[in-house]
Formats: sequence, C-alpha cells, structure tokens
Amino acid sequence: MKLLIIILSTLFAQANEQYAAGRYAEAADNYETCLSQQTEDGTEMTDESRAEVLYNLGNARFKQGELAQAILAYERSLRLNPGNKDARYNLEFARSRIIDDIADNRTFFFSSWARSMRDRLTENTWFLLSVGLFVIMLAALVVFALARVLWVRKAAFHTAWIALLLSVVSGIDALSLHRRDTERAEAIITQGITNAKSSPDRSGTDLFTLHEGTKVEISETLGEWCNIRVGNNEGWISLQHLERI
Amino acid sequence: MKTKHIFTLLLLVAANMLLHGEDVSFRAQAPSQVIAGKPFQLTYTVNQRARDLKAPDFGDLDYIAGPYTSQSSSTSFVNGKRTSTFTLTYTYTLMGNKAGKYTLQPATIRVDGQEYTSNGVRITVLPPDEEPAAAQGGSTQQQSRQQETGSVSQDNIFMRTIVSKTHVHEQEAVLLSYKLYFAGVDVAQFTNNTKIPEFTGFLKQELEQGEIQTELEHYNGRNYQTATVYRTLLYPQHSGEIKIDAAQFEAVLRVQVRQQVRSIFDDFFGSYTNVTKALTAPGVTIYAEPLPKGKPAGFSGGVGRFSMTSEITGTEMKTNEAVTVKINIQGAGNMKLLKTPAIDWPEGFETYDPKVTNNFKTGTTGMSGSKSIEYLAIPRAAGKYTVPAVKFAYFDTQDKEYKTLTAGPWDLNIERGAGDKEQEAVVQNYVGKEEIRQLGTDIRYIHNAEPQYRKSGRKSYSRTTVVLCYLLPLLIAAALFVIFRRQIRENADITRRRYKKANKVAQKRLREAQRLMQGTDDAAFYEAVERAAWSYLSDRLSIPTAQMNKDNIASILHDKKVSEELIAEVREVLSTAEFARYAPAGDNAKEELYNRTAELINNLENSKI
Repeated sequence: MKLLIIILSTLFAQANEQYAAGRYAEAADNYETCLSQQTEDGTEMTDESRAEVLYNLGNARFKQGELAQAILAYERSLRLNPGNKDARYNLEFARSRIIDDIADNRTFFFSSWARSMRDRLTENTWFLLSVGLFVIMLAALVVFALARVLWVRKAAFHTAWIALLLSVVSGIDALSLHRRDTERAEAIITQGITNAKSSPDRSGTDLFTLHEGTKVEISETLGEWCNIRVGNNEGWISLQHLERI
Repeated sequence: MKTKHIFTLLLLVAANMLLHGEDVSFRAQAPSQVIAGKPFQLTYTVNQRARDLKAPDFGDLDYIAGPYTSQSSSTSFVNGKRTSTFTLTYTYTLMGNKAGKYTLQPATIRVDGQEYTSNGVRITVLPPDEEPAAAQGGSTQQQSRQQETGSVSQDNIFMRTIVSKTHVHEQEAVLLSYKLYFAGVDVAQFTNNTKIPEFTGFLKQELEQGEIQTELEHYNGRNYQTATVYRTLLYPQHSGEIKIDAAQFEAVLRVQVRQQVRSIFDDFFGSYTNVTKALTAPGVTIYAEPLPKGKPAGFSGGVGRFSMTSEITGTEMKTNEAVTVKINIQGAGNMKLLKTPAIDWPEGFETYDPKVTNNFKTGTTGMSGSKSIEYLAIPRAAGKYTVPAVKFAYFDTQDKEYKTLTAGPWDLNIERGAGDKEQEAVVQNYVGKEEIRQLGTDIRYIHNAEPQYRKSGRKSYSRTTVVLCYLLPLLIAAALFVIFRRQIRENADITRRRYKKANKVAQKRLREAQRLMQGTDDAAFYEAVERAAWSYLSDRLSIPTAQMNKDNIASILHDKKVSEELIAEVREVLSTAEFARYAPAGDNAKEELYNRTAELINNLENSKI
C-alpha cells in the first residue's frame, strides 16, 4: 500500500531529472502520470504537492513550446496553492507570449482588483477566515452589550462592524471561488488559432479570432459548442478547441 | 708546387659541382591506360650519368623488347649563366595480355656509386574492343563511309554526364562531369556554342579545368579516347528529386575527305575538312534526401565530415590583457556554407568580431580545407569567469547522423592588472555604478521538493458544515449574552436593594451605637459608629467591600458632584472613628462623634447620592 507513494515520489524525481536534462516531453508525460495516478490506500498528494507537480508540468510544457498546456497547468497549480509566487511569475511570463490582447472595458478597476484579491487564497482559507472574523464580531458584540465603560463599548462596536464587513467579504470570496470551481466556467484556448462563430454551428459567421493560450469564460454549452465570453466579445466555439481549467 | 695542387683541387671541385649541381631525378613513365594486346613503352629517365639500371619484375605484363638507351644533353648560356641538361632514357616495350590493373615496383639505378629509386607505375590494361574482327572491319568500313559522307556516327563520338552519386543528402557534394568519348575520329576543338544547364536547386562550384588531357577508357566494349570537358561540384539546396537538364556541346572534327588529288599541296592541305558536330550530354536526376529530424542546437547547415581543434592564449591573465581563442574547423563538406560559431563571452569582456581565415580547396570529392576563427576579447573586470563551450554541429554524411563538436569551456582567472589598480586609486571616487542589467527572461525553474501525502477526503466543506460554522458561534454568543446579562441584572438588583436599605441599616447601626454609648465598652461603640458609616457608604455608592477606602470613596463622591465640604467631613468622621477605636477619648467625644456621624449620614441622604 505504501509502495504506490514511493512509486509516485520516484516518478516525480525522475521527471525532475528528465527536465534538468532537457528531455521535456518525457518529463511532462511523467508529471501527467503523477497527477492521474489514483492511490488505493486512501492517501493522496496534498494540494500543495499537487500544485508543485502542476507547476513543474507547466514548465515542461512551456519548454516544449506548448503554451496553452503550460498556462492550463499554471492556472490549475495556482488554484491549489495560490501562494506559489513562481507559478504566478511563470504564468505571467507565459501569458506575455499569448498573441491575443484582451481589452475588457466592462470590468472596472475595482472588480479586477477584487478578483485578483480573491484568487490569492483558496476557497477553504477564505471560508475559515470568514468564520474566524464572524466569531470575532460576535465576541465584540457581546462585549459591546455588556461592558459599562464607554471606551470599551466604543472599541467593541468598531471591532464588531469591521469584523462583520470583512467576514462577509471573505464569505463572498469563498462562495465565488466555490462557484468557480464547481461550474468550471473558465477555460483556455488550446487550438492554435480558432474562430468564434455567431451561432453554435459550423456555418455560422466568423465573429473574431482567438489564439492559443487565451483565457475565456464559458457561459453556456450546447452539444459540441459553447458560448464564450472574452473581453467584450461573445461567440460560439467548438468545445474541442478549449479546455476547462 | 703547392699552387698547382690547389688548382687541381679547385678543378675537381668545379667538375663535381657541375655534375652534382642538380639533384638526381630518376623517373618512370608509362601510359596509365593501355589496351590489351597492344604494345606500349615504359621509360626510365635520369638526369645524370648512371648505370646499373635494375628494372622491376614486369609480372604479368609481357616483356617484348628493351631496354634501349638514348641520351641527350644540351648546354645553354642565359645572361652569362651556364645551364646544362643531360637526359638518359631507358625504354622498354611491354604488352598487357589480360585486362586489369598492374603495378610496377620502382626501379633502381646507380649514380656515382649511390643508388637511386624511381617512382612506381600503375597501369590499367583495358580489354580490347569486342568482336575484334567485326569491329575492326566495321570501323574501317565506317571510316571509309565517313570519309565519303563527311558525317560521324553516334558510336564514334558522344558525351556522357557522369555524377559521382545520384542519392545524396541535402548539402552533400556531387561531382558532375561532362566527358567526351571518341574513337576513330579526330576532335580538333570545341566551339563556343556550348550550353551548360543552370543547375537550379544546387549551389554550384566549378572546378578549375587545366589542360584537357585525353585518357583511354573501355566503355561498352570499346576503347575510347576520353576527355573531361567540364567538371563542377553541386550541393543540393533542397530535398527531393532535382533534375539537371541536358548540356549541349559543339565539337569541330577533322575528317579526312577522299578527293581527287590534284596536286601535292592538295594532299597536304585539303584532304581534311572540319565538320561541326552537335553533342548532347544527357540530363540526370539527383535524389537529395532531407537531413533527418532532430537537428541539434548549434546546427548551422554544415554537412560533411569535420573535426575541430581549439586553442586559447592563456587562462590566467590580468585585466585589460587580450585573450584569444582560436578555433580551427577542418574537414570536407560544404565548407563555404559553414557559419562561424559564436562564443558567448561572459559579461565584463569587451569582444570584437572574430577574424575568419578560410583555406578551402576544391577537389573532385568536394570541398575540403580548414576554417580558422580567432576570437579576441579583453577582460575589463577581475574575477573568475567561465567562457562557455563553443558548439559546432554538423551532419555526418558517412555515419548519417548529427554530430556535435565541442571546444572549451575555458575557465579564466582574471587578476586585477597593475595599471588598473593605479587608475582605480586615482578615480576611486568615481566608480561607474551600473544597474543590474537584465540579460534575458525565462520562466523560473521547477521545484524539487518531495511530494507530501495526506489522507484523502472531502476537500471542501458541505453546506451543513458551512451553516453550522456560522450558526454555532452565533448561538454560543447569544447564550453567553443571556447568561451574562442575567448575572448583571441580579447584581444590579442586589445593589439597588442595598442602596435603598442603606439609610435604614445605618440608622439601625446608629441606634445600636447610641445604646453602647452609655456602656463602658468604648471599642464596641466606636466600631458600631464606624461600621454604620462604612456600610452606609458601601451600600449607597455600590462599592464592593474590597475596594473600600477613604480615597476611593472621596473620588467617587467627587464624581457624584458632592460638595467638597461634605467630602472633607466624610474623611474626617471616618478618620476620627478609626482613630478613636484604638485611642478612646472621653464621653463627650463619643457623643460628638455620634452626632457628627448621624448628621453626616443625614446630609449625604439629603444630597441624593
């Protein structure tokens, strides 16, 4: 039972050696195997370790020149461990190689900032933070209700409302991340170049062109097609031309 | 006598010098191709008087006659300088019987007692023309017919296109030659009317054509005189079938014409006529195989066989001293297309364009030679540096695989030069600051940490857990709130009760004090008075007994806006009662204290604290 863990660790080490030797294709295959292996004894890699494997996979894919696969791996790695600065750096680096430059007038500065804040922690961390802040808020409220000294009451009151606000924000973040991970609406274009159509049909009018590596949001799927939103554009793309994160 | 001797000596020396003024040259000569059954001559030539020629064993070649010796000498004066030549020739007549290749070992000869050796000779004996009787008859017939018609048949003169290989790799040299074959006709010259194809798809490199020499060659059962008219090296520039068009030549033949002989001059001048003959060398197709996949880094199109040597002037040096790396690439292949490999000098080196010296020779097998590259760099900063290896990758046509030649890397240890130090001492205040320069960008390296494992289970919390996480603290907080509030309310009730009863309790204590005032137990009296005052203040001001002291009471009274006089009175009464407990005074004092206390309580009651 323990053996499988050893195999996984060895496979990972072997893939790292292959990467160091410049045999990126073999390394990438081994990383993929590490990720897909199911353990039988009820243990699995921690999220942090999976994030590391995904990060290395992203590097191997990048070195192979497979930009879309690299970006996918980095995105997935960051979802498991948003604190991985190297993954963030490499993701930005890989994104700088994407051809498409997405101009989105609809997202305000605040919403994009809020989103980037949200993506800095995992869903569970946000949830625990929210609960913690909620407890602090309650404690402050109890103090506020019972204390007879004025400044204590004042301090408790301010603590309470700030904690409540932060708790709500964290809760919303957790909820939003939960929704993102269950809906899996975000996807990466894997096709080198693809045209978005006006209807879920091969004969639809070509609306705009997307290149490999661009991140899109799926709003609806219909058979082999999905309606995607990217920046200010909306159109239908074959499901085979993208991969959900 | 003496002078005579010297003179004779000089004469001898001069004679000797005359004889041995030149080096002895002893050479063997024979046609390289001969036809079986036809005698040929083998000659040995020596430029000094010699004797004792020892000819080698002629082996399978038939010895017919010889050696015949002949000698010639000549002397000439040019600008007062005497030049004399002397030649001694031995001639053998030999004949080959069977077609094949024969090698004659060197012969030896003695010149002035010293033995000299000639060169060896290689002779190819070609088979005789097939069907000798018929062919000979045919040729004579043909000849007679030619002489009549003045035309020349295709069998007697034609051109061939000869390529060294038809299946090659891209960039691999192919030798193409146009060869003229003729037998029984006399070729005077080629006209300018030649058309050599364009060789599209190839890089062409013509070979220097010296004087055209004819050779005998056995081809299709006949022996022909051959002459290579044009030779070129071709390097396929792309893969696939590449066609070379036919080439057109025009030759002028001298054909004997049988005419009525009118005079002796006619026979001398006019019995030959020049006939131009168009000749076509057929086209060929070259199949160029593409270079296999997996071109290594540093591959710049080199195809052939190469070797690389490198040299560095030194690895220990001082700043501002030049360092030179010399790289020499030798071999054969498409040398002209070789790119100069670049050295990636570390930062802090001033570099110059490399000096490239090409020494290429074009031979029949392709281009060969050497390319030497000198890289000059001047270190400007001290330290230990590593000059990365120079890699030169090429496709090996023999082993059919890519090979990479490496030179270096070189570890350089640069010390601060003496001049540099002085200079620095002077300009120490003006150190040229440099920002960290970004040389390139790349992704960050992989992580190697050992993976960690945990018990697998749910990763995100269920809805109930989430609700409970908020609800439970809320309930606890509510419960705590309720409990605490009840406690506080109860405490408040007690305080209020004590507050309300304060006066009553104080009056009761005072009455007891009044009763004790009559008795003799002074201490009991004072204690009663004191307790009356203390308990009143304690109940009235809701101060726990632990915090009861005069200062505390005074400050609380002060907060409650009680007049300063009354506060002073409180202090005094409490002090007096305390003091009197231990040092009792007279009965008057007792009564006075009692009255003061009663009045104080009354006043406090009135001031509605």
